[in-house]
This record gives sequence, structure tokens and C-alpha cells, in this order.
Amino acid sequence: MVDLSAKAGQKSTDIEKLTAAKDIPGLIKALHSDDMKMQTEVAKALGSLGPAAMDALILELKKKDKDHNLVIIKALSEIRDPKPVPVLIGMLKDENSEVRWGAAIALGEIGDIQAIEPLVTCLRDHDKYVRYGSAYSLEMLGWKPQNEEERAFLLVGKQEWEAVELLGDSAVPALTNILHDRHSIVRIKAVETLGELKSPSAIPVLMQSLADEDSEVRWKTVLASEKSGIKLMHLPRGLSRRPKKKKNPWIAGFLNFILPGLGYAYLAKWWGVMIYEIDIFVTIWLWQYWGEFSFEALLPIYFVLAVHAYYITVKMPEDPP
Amino acid sequence: MDIEAMKNAQDVRGLIKLLDHEKYDVQWRAADALGSMGEIACDPLLKVLTFPKIHVRIGVIEALGAIASPKSVEPLINTLMTDKNHEVRWVAAVALGEIGDKRAIPPLVASLREEDRYVRYGSARALEQIGWSAETEEDLAYYHIALEDWDAIKKMGKSATTPLTEMLRDEHPPIRERIVRILGSIGDGVGGRSCERILRDPDENVRWCGVLSSQKCGIPPRELPLELSKRVRTGPSAIGAALLNLIFLGCGYDYLGKWWGLIILEIFLLLFLISQLLVGIKVSVMIWAPITAVFAAQTYFMAKREAALAG
Repeated sequence: MVDLSAKAGQKSTDIEKLTAAKDIPGLIKALHSDDMKMQTEVAKALGSLGPAAMDALILELKKKDKDHNLVIIKALSEIRDPKPVPVLIGMLKDENSEVRWGAAIALGEIGDIQAIEPLVTCLRDHDKYVRYGSAYSLEMLGWKPQNEEERAFLLVGKQEWEAVELLGDSAVPALTNILHDRHSIVRIKAVETLGELKSPSAIPVLMQSLADEDSEVRWKTVLASEKSGIKLMHLPRGLSRRPKKKKNPWIAGFLNFILPGLGYAYLAKWWGVMIYEIDIFVTIWLWQYWGEFSFEALLPIYFVLAVHAYYITVKMPEDPP
Repeated sequence: MDIEAMKNAQDVRGLIKLLDHEKYDVQWRAADALGSMGEIACDPLLKVLTFPKIHVRIGVIEALGAIASPKSVEPLINTLMTDKNHEVRWVAAVALGEIGDKRAIPPLVASLREEDRYVRYGSARALEQIGWSAETEEDLAYYHIALEDWDAIKKMGKSATTPLTEMLRDEHPPIRERIVRILGSIGDGVGGRSCERILRDPDENVRWCGVLSSQKCGIPPRELPLELSKRVRTGPSAIGAALLNLIFLGCGYDYLGKWWGLIILEIFLLLFLISQLLVGIKVSVMIWAPITAVFAAQTYFMAKREAALAG
């Protein structure tokens, strides 16, 4: 038996041998090849082995190994057998976004219409890759949106912003859904598109985005808000709710008093922990050098450090909006 | 909390208290109600215009803007010029626009040159509302910059150069980048001070745009490397790192951003303490000083090399 497990430079003849021997585990190992052409060939070989191979592949998906799962999902999307569809639908809820993305694409490639409903749900995923993959697959499956709101989710998934704009009010839910996307670029697009809808129904969500953590998103929200008809007068209040990195002067002072230096560390000064380390060292050293040593003598120093930490926190300028 | 009832009962004091309510929507509904009450709310509101809490000041100004009493113009101008909070200055500018009193024009024009893009924007919109039209090309340029109407600025051509270079002090790199590109497309000799400012910008993208724009402004390439090299380097000082490592081995590495600097410091302090217990303070200093000196020298060269690589 030829063992192909993780060797590079496997040959087609080896695949033939494995196929002839119906060595399904060997072929599954060979799927891990780095060569994309090889992967496809192995997948085809597995496909030719019929139900037994499919069952083995489906069993592999049960393993909690992201990279392995992605390899199997890719193979399944090339074999295009409908048998793994229920398992793949289940994987649309995997906690790993790459697995969800892969499963969504595989379901489109396999082309079984029972995947449509779960894929429509995935258009609301919080990950842009999953949304994009689901939109792609739904089109592969020939899905047509039932209403304008669903169409908006499809177009947002494909990031076709200009087409979304034309949908008017019905695009608001789909755009609202992506206002919490991890990537500020996506949020900016969402906000800009909401503005272009020129619709009062975008007002509540835009007011939320005024307090976005990203400064560029906040600015674009201001411009978009005016287009939706929010009075400029109401925007500053919304902006004032932006997250502020203001530190508490009392915490800084207290920390510096009991653990000198850590108050500075709390204020994100890189040398805070250093001062703390050195303080401990010097205290031990003094104690060792003088033998009996009164710690009260150090208290005034700690107090000065505490006041200093308090003072610089209060004096810290406010973050610009 | 029946805001509507309080409004009908003309409970100005009660409503002003609600401006400090913990709930956001109560705050703005109270401000709305106060704004609809007219003159009688004006004096009590002006008394709390400098209240320490930001959301209260914003609420007060929202209401004053809606009441639009001429009495509130001077205090609002004062807020626009002196308040430390960006949002408060912004809402003051907008309120002055709502009131529409011509006395607000000079301070609003001055605010077009503000550092904060929101205050600039609010001032420009307020001036629009009051029916202001720019008397000088310079004011017009600042106005367009405030609205971030980049096409209009490009059309202004050379007369916008000075305001554009002046606004390079904006803290948002995307705005500076935009300005630099426009300066390049205008192609006026962005010589002297402004060119220096662009080429020494702390942001890499802005500097690069500056290099590209400088060519269009007729600044010969041979002058660029030297200018660029004069920029403020935010990187750590090599001597500082070396000195720190000489005294407390590990501190210098931490200063250079090495995560393991602290571990080295820990180990150093521990070993120093042990050696001191064994051989006494004088001998252990004599043992350790040459060792940390070697590390200090190594740190110095490492910092220099890293600075050179960072460019």
C-alpha cells in the first residue's frame, strides 16, 4: 500500500492506485495536499467511489478541526453529491466563520434546493464573507427574492450598494443588519447607503451609528443623517455618546498609592510596570540593607505618586471626535 | 415621567432637571419640550449653560436654538468660542444658525478655521442658514473646506492654497491626505512652510501624497529626501534605551517595545538581589556593571538598526 498521507509531490498514479484499492482513508488523507490540482483529482476519485466514500467524508465533518473541515467541505463542493447537504446546512451555524463561508459556497455548488431557506437566513450573518458566499450560492440555486426586503439582503450580501440604494425603505433592515460589522469599511458603506435612501425610516439606526467606535464612520453618519432628514441640531447629542477612553482619576491615584507604578500602567504608560518592579526591588533592598526598616517613611512618596497619577488623568485632553 | 404634562404646566425647572436624566431619550425629549416653551424658559436655561455635564449643556443649547431668543446669542457665541467640548461647540454653532442673528456671523466665520471638523461643518451650515455670503476668497475657501466640498475647492484654484495649507493641522489623516492631493492638483507652488509641513507629516500616507504632490507643484525631487528626513520621529531614542538597560537591565528593551523586556528585568532584579545576599552590595555592583554595559551597547545598536529599517 502506498501511503500518501502528508507527502508533497504525490502523483496521479498514486491516486489511481488508492482508488483501485478503494482506500478511502488514504484518499481522505491525500486531500490535504498543498497542490490544488491534486486536491481536485483526489476529490474526483473519492466521488467515483460512490456512497461508501460519501459516508466516510460526512463522518470526517464531525471532527472538530477547522482546517480539516474546510478541506472536506471543498472536496464535497467538487463532488456535488446531495447526500451531505443536511450536514452542510448544520455547518452554516458553525462558530467558525470560515467554516460557515465554506459550507455556504459548497451548498450552492451542490445545487440542492433544500439549502435555500438556511442560506437566506445566512444573508443575515454578521460576517461579510458568509453573507457574500450565501448570496453567491443563492444565485447559483436560482433563488429569487420573495419581496423587496429579501432582495435588499441579497444585494447587501453581494455588496452592490448602488442597487441597494434604489430599493428605498425596504433596504433599511438589511443595512441595519451590517451596522455592527467588524470592518469599519463595511459600516461606512452601510451608513452612506442609508443616507442615499433619503428615508426617514433610517433615522433611528443612523442615530445609533453616530456613536460608532470608528471616527470615520461617525463623520459619514453625520453627512448621511442630514440626507435622511435629521435636523443638524440633533446630531451633536448623538455624537456625544461615542465611546470615550476616559480613565478614572481616582482609580489611577488609588493604584499608584497601594502599588506605586501600576496607576501609570492603568493610564497605558509603558513605564508604569517598570516603576512598580523597581519600587518592589528598592523596597526589598532598603529593607535588607538597613535591617529594621520603617515603611511609613515611604508613604509620603506613595502619596505624591498617587496625586501625580490623579492629576495627569484629570488633565488628559478629551479624545477628538 | 410625563414630559408632556410638565410642559403644559410650564414646569421649566423640572424639565431642566430632566436634561440630566440617566435615560438618553428622556434627555432629548426634555430639551425638545423646553425648546417649545418660548421666552419663559430662556433665562433659566441661560443660567445652566455652563453646567459641568456635557449632555446637560447640549440639551440647554438645543432648547435655546429652538427658542431663538436674541438674548441667548451672546452667551451662545461665548460657548462657541470657549467651551472645551467638541460636541458642545458644534451644537452651539448649529443653534446660532437656527436663531439666525447676524451678530453670530463673525464668530462663526472664525469657527470655520476650527481644528474640529464637526464644529467647522456646523459653523458653515449655520452661516448658510443666516444667509451669509463670503466677502473674501479666503473665507469662501474655508467655507468649502468646512463642508468638505472638495470639488468646489478644486475649482477655486490658487486662491484656496493658503486656507488648504492652514487646515493641514487637522488631526484626521484622511483629511490631510485629501488636502495634499488637492494642493497637488491645483499645482500652485506649495513652497516653503506648507511643503515642509506635508513632507514632515507624522502619517506615512500623507507624506507619500506630499511627495507626489510636490512634483506637481514644481518642487525639484532633489530637495525631497532631506525635507522628508527632518520629520518628527516618534520612534524611541537609542541612547535612552541604552541608558535604561545600563541601570535596570530589561527596561530598555521594554521601552523599545519588546514584550520580553519585563521578563529580563524580573530576572535581572532577582539575580542582583541574590548576588547581593551572597557577596554584598559593592561586589555585586562590580560584577553587574560590566554585564549591563555590554547589554546597553547592544541595545544602542539594535535601536539604531531598527530605526533605520523603519525608515
